[in-house]
Amino acid sequence: MLNRKLSVAALSLLLMTSAMSRGQQTLSVWGAQLGPDTIAGTLAVAQAFEARHPGVHVRMLGLGAGHMNPQKLLTAIVGGSPPDVVVQARFNISDWASRGAFVSLDPFLERDRKDPNCPKREAYYTAAWDEAVYKNSVYGIPTGADDRALYWNKAIFRENKDALSAAGLDWQRPPRTWSEMLRYSKVLTIPGKRAGFIPNFGNAWLYLYAFQNDSYFLTPDGSRCTLATPETAEALKFMKDGYDLLGGYTAATAFQSGFQGKENDPFLTGQVVMKIDGDWSLPGIARYGPTLDFGVAPPPVPDDRLARKGRFANDPDPFLTWSGGFSLAMPRGCPNRDLAWEFIKFGSSLEGRLIENAAQAAADHAKGRLYLPRIQGLKAANEALYRIYKPRQAKFADSLQVHIDLMKSSRYRPPTIVGQLLWDEHVRATEQVLLGKAEPMEALLDGQKKVQRGLDVLVKKQKLSVVPMWIVGAIAISLLSIGIGLWGRTWRRARLGKLSRYEAKWGIFCVAPWIVGFLVFTAEPMIASLFFSFTDYDVLSPPRWVGLRNFAELATDDRANIFKAFGNAAYMAGIGVPLGLFTGLAVAMLLNSAVRGMRFYRTVFYLPAIVPVVASSVLWIWLLTPDPNKGLINAVWRDTVGAWIHAPLPGWLAAESWAKPALILMGVWGAGSGMILWLAGLKNIPRSLYEAAEIDGANKRNLFFTVTLPMLSPVMFFNVVMGLIGAVQEFDRVYVMAGDDANGPNDSLLVPAKYLFTNAFSYFKMGYASSLAWTLFAVILLVTLLQFSVSRFWVFEETSS
Amino acid sequence: MTSNLLFAVGTLADWFGMALVIRTLYLLAKRQPGVGVSALFAGGSLLVAAMTPAFHGQFGLPLIWVVLPFSGWAVATVGLLCLVNVLRYLLERTGGRLKGIAVSGVLLLGAVWLLRTDPEAHFDVLTGKILLSVESIIAIFCLALAAIGIMAFANREMRKLATRFVIHVTLLCGCVVFGLPFAWLMITSFKEDRDMASPNGLVWIPKVQKTVPYLDPEEPVFQGDYHGNRVEAATIGRNSDGSYITEVRRPASLAGMSINVRPEQFRIIPNDAPVVAGKGYTAFVTREMSDGRRQLSLMTPASLKGTVKVVSPDEVEPVREVGLRTRNYTDALESMPVETQSGLLYLRNTLLLVVLSVFGTVLSSSLVAYGFARLRFPGREPLFKILLATMMLPGAVTLMPQFLLFRWLGWIDTLLPLWVPAFFGGAFNVFLLRQFLVQIPLELEDASRIDGAGILRTFWTVMLPQVKPALAVVAIWTFMGAWNSFMGPLIYINSPENMPLAYALQLFQTERGGEAGMMMAFASLTILPVVALFFFAQRYFIEGITFSGFGGR
Repeated sequence: MLNRKLSVAALSLLLMTSAMSRGQQTLSVWGAQLGPDTIAGTLAVAQAFEARHPGVHVRMLGLGAGHMNPQKLLTAIVGGSPPDVVVQARFNISDWASRGAFVSLDPFLERDRKDPNCPKREAYYTAAWDEAVYKNSVYGIPTGADDRALYWNKAIFRENKDALSAAGLDWQRPPRTWSEMLRYSKVLTIPGKRAGFIPNFGNAWLYLYAFQNDSYFLTPDGSRCTLATPETAEALKFMKDGYDLLGGYTAATAFQSGFQGKENDPFLTGQVVMKIDGDWSLPGIARYGPTLDFGVAPPPVPDDRLARKGRFANDPDPFLTWSGGFSLAMPRGCPNRDLAWEFIKFGSSLEGRLIENAAQAAADHAKGRLYLPRIQGLKAANEALYRIYKPRQAKFADSLQVHIDLMKSSRYRPPTIVGQLLWDEHVRATEQVLLGKAEPMEALLDGQKKVQRGLDVLVKKQKLSVVPMWIVGAIAISLLSIGIGLWGRTWRRARLGKLSRYEAKWGIFCVAPWIVGFLVFTAEPMIASLFFSFTDYDVLSPPRWVGLRNFAELATDDRANIFKAFGNAAYMAGIGVPLGLFTGLAVAMLLNSAVRGMRFYRTVFYLPAIVPVVASSVLWIWLLTPDPNKGLINAVWRDTVGAWIHAPLPGWLAAESWAKPALILMGVWGAGSGMILWLAGLKNIPRSLYEAAEIDGANKRNLFFTVTLPMLSPVMFFNVVMGLIGAVQEFDRVYVMAGDDANGPNDSLLVPAKYLFTNAFSYFKMGYASSLAWTLFAVILLVTLLQFSVSRFWVFEETSS
Repeated sequence: MTSNLLFAVGTLADWFGMALVIRTLYLLAKRQPGVGVSALFAGGSLLVAAMTPAFHGQFGLPLIWVVLPFSGWAVATVGLLCLVNVLRYLLERTGGRLKGIAVSGVLLLGAVWLLRTDPEAHFDVLTGKILLSVESIIAIFCLALAAIGIMAFANREMRKLATRFVIHVTLLCGCVVFGLPFAWLMITSFKEDRDMASPNGLVWIPKVQKTVPYLDPEEPVFQGDYHGNRVEAATIGRNSDGSYITEVRRPASLAGMSINVRPEQFRIIPNDAPVVAGKGYTAFVTREMSDGRRQLSLMTPASLKGTVKVVSPDEVEPVREVGLRTRNYTDALESMPVETQSGLLYLRNTLLLVVLSVFGTVLSSSLVAYGFARLRFPGREPLFKILLATMMLPGAVTLMPQFLLFRWLGWIDTLLPLWVPAFFGGAFNVFLLRQFLVQIPLELEDASRIDGAGILRTFWTVMLPQVKPALAVVAIWTFMGAWNSFMGPLIYINSPENMPLAYALQLFQTERGGEAGMMMAFASLTILPVVALFFFAQRYFIEGITFSGFGGR
């Protein structure tokens, strides 16, 4: 084992031709913020660390936009090649910590207690520090932080002062309560042109409104999910009211799809008058709309909270917000623990924060931009940065001050082992309610049940019995020996002669690669997968036996998602496969005619089929941009379909009802692979058949239906079977186009393979994923067998063969 | 006469004249008679065209014809064809085909009626002003049908021509639909950021900012070697010891980093200063100031050349010219992690994967298929049935345990899990090859055996050459599968230096998706090798599948 690892390491060292990493100790950091607006600061910290630790090379990798791709980290930790340090979104840390994937930092904190540079809880905002604490152990040290506030466009308030005054509202200040917010929004909204306030635009989510209404989704001990409380429902109701003012969620989403970035940001152009957003949006305003007359205020709260009535009577905070951010954490099995700790200490220290900001400020200033520091988890860093980089313009300075002050009264997402699941379910419930598909309590209860189950499973897990992995091996070996025994019997019964024995030996020799491959890469994994489907398994700890519970969950509690996933797959297969077949056949018929330039045509039509799926997905994301000033397809749509029949622009990937058609459209474009098979089939139809039919007096149409189609039926059969199997397993396109952690609007692109992947690598539910995989297998088997049984009615087989 | 009609007459006369000029030249070249008459008519037509007010005595293609919408072209062409064919038919006076003329006539009338009844549709086809509505679409369709109908009914030769015409037009339309995304990809990859979205319609012709080289004496741009990387850095300040604080601009993977530069170690290079135009002057930007204003150095008028001026950004317009922004490509390559040598390692990994997969699959699949097809051994039938069954097994079932298996082998973060399984024969490929091998006549094999060849030798020298086309198919599909492979690398590969192209592209998309130019440049680079290969190996690619006789069996 050690030898193998060494040789692999040596090999990879050999492959690394970069001079920078040779003969040095490398510290790898994942999840680094390497975007164009943050790279300077990130690299400066690495550089400063290298300067303090000669011989160390810090290697920064992004591996995900703003958040660490959980699947990547999981496979790396499990696979034994984790990075040394991870920059991790704080609310996920407990997810990882609870599974032992992150190392507790307590021993280091204890050891360096006397070191003045050692992080201390008191030095950080409570919200920032405690979010990375799981079961009283620290798993991450905060670096950056953020919080949300209300941004309001003063100029538009002034323009509408008469209307606002007429409604009894003060135009010189922003709304402070929910009910005020709705009234302001009503006055300031012009349907289709301007939205007063879009509840979920910017960054608020149900989380913020629920926190404000004193609901925290989990009991303090973390054992029960309390997503479905009257308080949360009230918060959700507020969001829905906010959307109803705008003409409903769908209308608001359609309006939002026209939003652009940079100079044309909707808040800068006045398309959105008020929004709740994080402090990260300030630099954008400074850069693209420095002249904008705007203000930042604490986000509006429930009326009772501000009035300190009812359950808020003893609450110290009249206003409160939600804060998040990043922490530096150490994954299990990290190669250089002490060095990693040094880096974490340095990166989160006052010095590290100042270095990062200084470098970023220098870079921004050099580009002629105003630098606005981001909020830090470390109180002292915040104060120092504000002192150094306080903007001269009062509106920016005041805005920053509001954000900093809000940090003291901010809440954070509860540290829990089901953080990701809770997040996903809350998004799902919100969407359901806003779309009018469910009542608030109903949707929340549904989500709560799922999260609670996740919690229960993990709590009860300790009581389940561990099943050792060798059982898989034992089953495999016993099955193998049965197989060999059976085969041996056949061999003996065959009573082979000398010549046949010679042939048989060679036969087995020829087939051997496949047999070995089958046993190792298919049979054994199948047994293992079947075994996992009866267990609770997160890869990080040994599997525990749960019997049929995974399958029961599929059929009961998780039924809605499973139905949705298979429904989506059926939609795409049901429309996409026939459409692809038809296009392929039509193009093949055209290409089968004898005209000049066939090679050119063939190349063009086949081109989409040879382009890597990822590349074509990237291309199509760009083509399908809903904004007609950007996206080619909607630009064409606007000038044709839109102009002729006044059809509204489709939202494609951003709209629930258009997301699947978008993928189908893309599939039709790539119909070239099927086309080639059709063409092959067409070329193989003997001329004599046509001639014979023509002598019998058949016309073109008869020829097509009596000769061409029947002769093509085997190709069609093949295309249908392979097309359906492929469509049910759709993964790559959805992964690239919907994003690694999203499934399209209202789960419209949730497909079985993606759901399986999410369960396995984001929720750590490998056992459940395995049972899902077997369900998928069953569905495919069923569909295919059905095809075969129907095939004899329509597939024409030559009897001669 | 209305101006529209005049314009129409003028245009048609102009076109007719042009056509006749070409015909005259052709006749001259071929030394055929009739040159004089042709020239005479050409001159006459052009004269008529010149006389119409629409042309003001100028010859040439009216621009409006070039930008005429497709529908306009279609209607004009179809109308002309209708006319020619009706005339031709009337002249030939062949009986029995009156039905065709009648049908065409009805369609033509219907089309004209529809166009007329549609109040929105300006039937100013010849000025290119046809407004498209559902009615006019139907009308145009009818017109096209009418023309084709007339051609088809005219005579056999014309019918063939009509068919060919229709096929070509359809194929060309298809090519536009299928090829346009690629064209858009390439165009986007050469555009500047500001052209990505434009409220005045999409930008089809890339433009680039005009720049002039400028040596800034106060804030020089340096170029030199930094830890083995050739960097370009702009000054942002000075240290007390005389060295410069600079910000790295290139390569993009280090951009934004600040380094200290001693002038003697680096060399000063000219900066690309953007050219701008203001009211009555052009200038280049020498400095962007922190309050957003710009310091300019005037270029024209000549009298003020070199004068320094400070303006706010909205006083000047950037000067841009048609050109390709190749920076997108270099930026995309430079922003790859340093370890991957500007993405070269991605390509190497992909190639390695492709070559090994194809080699392994072809070798093992054909051997296994041979075993199943031509050699009898006990248990062959049940084994083959198992093989068939595995074809339906979704990858998801074995995904996880395979991951554990490869972890146990210590293969995580290597390319091994991606190509080693290829050496054990894929079920589908084995099945395909077996179907071919089964059909080879027994005599061939027997002859070889009688000649004393062993089983392996027979396989290699007799059987394999017989199934070459099928092998090509297997190789091609494996090639495409390996080139496209995404889920495998997604799960097994962590380090940039071990990543294949497709996965690197996806990562790039999540990190830099907002920068369309760079994104499309990278996508183009991913596509180009496979497209190039496709062009070279077209015959094997398509004809391999076509002639393998795959279909119809």
